[in-house]
Amino acid sequence: MRQSSPSHRFVAAIIAIVTVAAVGCGKTPPASFRLNMVQATKATVPESGLEKPWASWSRERQQQVATILEAMFGTPDEPVALPETGLDLAKLQLAAGPVRSDIVGRKNGLYREHCAHCHGISGDGMGPTAAFLNPYPRDYRQGKFKFKSTWRDAKPTHDDLVRLLHEGVIGTSMPSFALLPPAQVDALAEYVKYLSMRGEAEIALFTYAEQELGADEALPTTKEFLVDEVLTPIAEKWQGAADARIPVAAIPAGVDFNLPGNDLANRDSVARGKALFLGDGGCVKCHGVTALGDGQANDYDDWNKAIVAVSAEVAVGLLSSKEAATGGMSSDALADHRARSAWLDSFAHVLEGDALRPRTIPPRNLRIGHYRGGRRPIDLYRRLYTGINGAPMPGVGPSGPGGKGSVADEEIWHLVNYIRSLPYEMDGELGADRPMVAKDRF
Amino acid sequence: MTGRSFNWTHLVACLLVGVTAVLLSFGALVTTYEAAMAVPDWPGTYGHNLLLYPWADWLQGPWDLFLEHGHRLLGALAGMVTLVLAAVAWRSSARPMVKWLAMAAVALVVVQGALGGARVLLDDKTVAKVHACTGPLFFAVAVAIACLSRRSSEQGTRLSRLPVALVVASYLQLVAGAQLRHLDAAVSPSVFRGLVGLHILGAFAVTVFAVASASSVGIDGSLSSRRWSRGIVALVVLQLLLGLGAWVVSWGMPAGLVPESWLSEPLRARSVWSAMVVTGHVVLGMLILASSVVLAIDAGGWRAVTSASAAGSSSQSRAFA
Ligand code: HEC
Ligand code: HEC
Repeated sequence: MRQSSPSHRFVAAIIAIVTVAAVGCGKTPPASFRLNMVQATKATVPESGLEKPWASWSRERQQQVATILEAMFGTPDEPVALPETGLDLAKLQLAAGPVRSDIVGRKNGLYREHCAHCHGISGDGMGPTAAFLNPYPRDYRQGKFKFKSTWRDAKPTHDDLVRLLHEGVIGTSMPSFALLPPAQVDALAEYVKYLSMRGEAEIALFTYAEQELGADEALPTTKEFLVDEVLTPIAEKWQGAADARIPVAAIPAGVDFNLPGNDLANRDSVARGKALFLGDGGCVKCHGVTALGDGQANDYDDWNKAIVAVSAEVAVGLLSSKEAATGGMSSDALADHRARSAWLDSFAHVLEGDALRPRTIPPRNLRIGHYRGGRRPIDLYRRLYTGINGAPMPGVGPSGPGGKGSVADEEIWHLVNYIRSLPYEMDGELGADRPMVAKDRF
Repeated sequence: MTGRSFNWTHLVACLLVGVTAVLLSFGALVTTYEAAMAVPDWPGTYGHNLLLYPWADWLQGPWDLFLEHGHRLLGALAGMVTLVLAAVAWRSSARPMVKWLAMAAVALVVVQGALGGARVLLDDKTVAKVHACTGPLFFAVAVAIACLSRRSSEQGTRLSRLPVALVVASYLQLVAGAQLRHLDAAVSPSVFRGLVGLHILGAFAVTVFAVASASSVGIDGSLSSRRWSRGIVALVVLQLLLGLGAWVVSWGMPAGLVPESWLSEPLRARSVWSAMVVTGHVVLGMLILASSVVLAIDAGGWRAVTSASAAGSSSQSRAFA
């Protein structure tokens, strides 16, 4: 065979493809937690009197927070659970790290296997797939959760998280993990709490730095500060979740949840619920008189709202910093101006790369019969009682123990009954300003 | 060719194609279930020699272990069949192209085995991606050997470039798919968006080349070329549907594009149904690659090249005219 024969070339091409593929991409680096850059940048507003250039000063502050967090919480591969967190390290270890089986064939790295591509390694809701999903996957770092049995501001209980993982969230890309063994779901729920506490501690550290520290001051690294002042209040809220369940009123007479929502036996109760829906409940503002979710639809949830707010702030700042006349400035003022411009530029950059494009949250079309927080009457009761934490949906129950809501507790059951009847309600029963058409149900 | 003696090369090559198809399907399942690290050591399995690991433990153990160890056993089998093929082909009177391809197959199967080992020992996603891209390459080579070792009197006609372009496109599409399957969770949403864009572009290219090949061989191709090319178009249509299905079972209905009520249940992670859709999408991609290799050879492409090279002709370019 001569050198130039096609066979030689073919073999050479195959070898070349494999080599290029093997050499072209380097080894994947070990997983690391990503810093909450939006918080970090917010917390490094340049102050006058900075001795270093803003960029290196802010980087040092970020580095310090990263070091503290690593000491308190470890890494994605090796989690740390301080006793104050009340977290179970064995469960965390099952969920953390790369996907692998241990010596008894038990799977480890569950979070990266099942969740990280959506929720991100750091639980920032910015996994690779996130931009395609609507709603976006939850960013755990604010410690806010929607579907739970506790007061609006309270954390979900462990059981709430387990139940959520078991059921999934219908109508979103959040899947049900009912096919995983219970021990794995349990470990994953524990890991969600871990990531959430870590994210909240991160925000607390940056907020402290922003509010309490002067230029060039470092965060305290004493146990009193880090554990007692930062970590414990966060951990206590999680540990207190089980005691923060909302009370559940007795189901009033004339409400029979064993029958479909449109059953005649429920007629009076449904009518009362409807009156509340159209009246005191204030539901029509968002869900519309038709309950098709065609009321106010341009609102954001809390996660997106925060991004919208800082984006606007940064845009305004950039504009005025561009327009500022630097000609007559003293050298100090000029240095401050430069630092501020650098800050604004880097903030704009962070919003591009470390935040998802804000999206509005539409009120639910209540005629489809999809209830993301669960479809049992008790789930709907809880949704209406506290509203949906983090979303614009308000609650009709009291906002805390001993308070008074806009609808009495037992009456909420009638509202629940009405909600359950909506997917069955016939045309003409709407009392709406426009007749319903078949496509509205889809 | 002697023509009279039994064509062992072809028989062994066909066997290799069969074994490899099962091997790759297992490989795809290993990725779907993220079972690659179900056996932490290599080349042994939990301290046992690969071939001596107790069968009962394998079959009754966890599903992940079943997949990973099964994939390794099949890999070993494919390696042995490849060695036999190389020996048989080398001593046969097969055309030089077949002999060299058989050598390439040996090289590939060794590299692929080593990559599989490196993937486990280093626990590295990059190696996993390369391993996932070498598999179909090996499959394509095995199919090419099986085709070229056929005793057929047909000689190459003028080669249309389209089937070859289809081979290249469907291979690159598998490469793009592997990037999505072996996703590093640390990757940013914008990188992922780029990868998805690439994969959609690839789907478009494969579809265009498949249809174009079918229409070109439909005019002056042989009967079997016409059949293969139409079969490929059918497979590609099915593959597009499976691709959409893989999206839906993984991430739900593309919100805003279709009504929410179309999906009346929450997604279920690890359901058999979703694993079948996703894995099927990968396996079908490999089948499309394999079929387009057959078509490229059948439509005269490589045959023209090899007969030209066997004849010592220097005008390879003519074959591609
Ligand atoms: C395919 C993407 C996807 C995957 C995989 C996924 N999630 Fe989610 N998850 C979501 C989306 C989207 C939401 C937001 C739902 C909403 O806001 O209604 C969500 C919400 C959540 C919430 C918040 C629920 C609440 O009450 O606020 C938790 C907790 C959660 N996911 C945990 C997990 C865990 C643990 C895993 C892995 C076992 C996981 N998710 C896997 C997409 C995903
Ligand atoms: C300020 C606007 C607003 C008002 C007022 C409002 N909702 Fe909502 N509602 C929403 C939004 C937004 C959602 C979707 C939240 C989400 O997707 O997380 C929602 C969701 C729901 C859901 C779905 C819960 C689930 O599990 O999926 C129900 C049921 C509901 N609302 C009922 C009501 C009722 C009854 C009232 C009146 C008592 C009401 N809403 C008042 C905005 C509102």
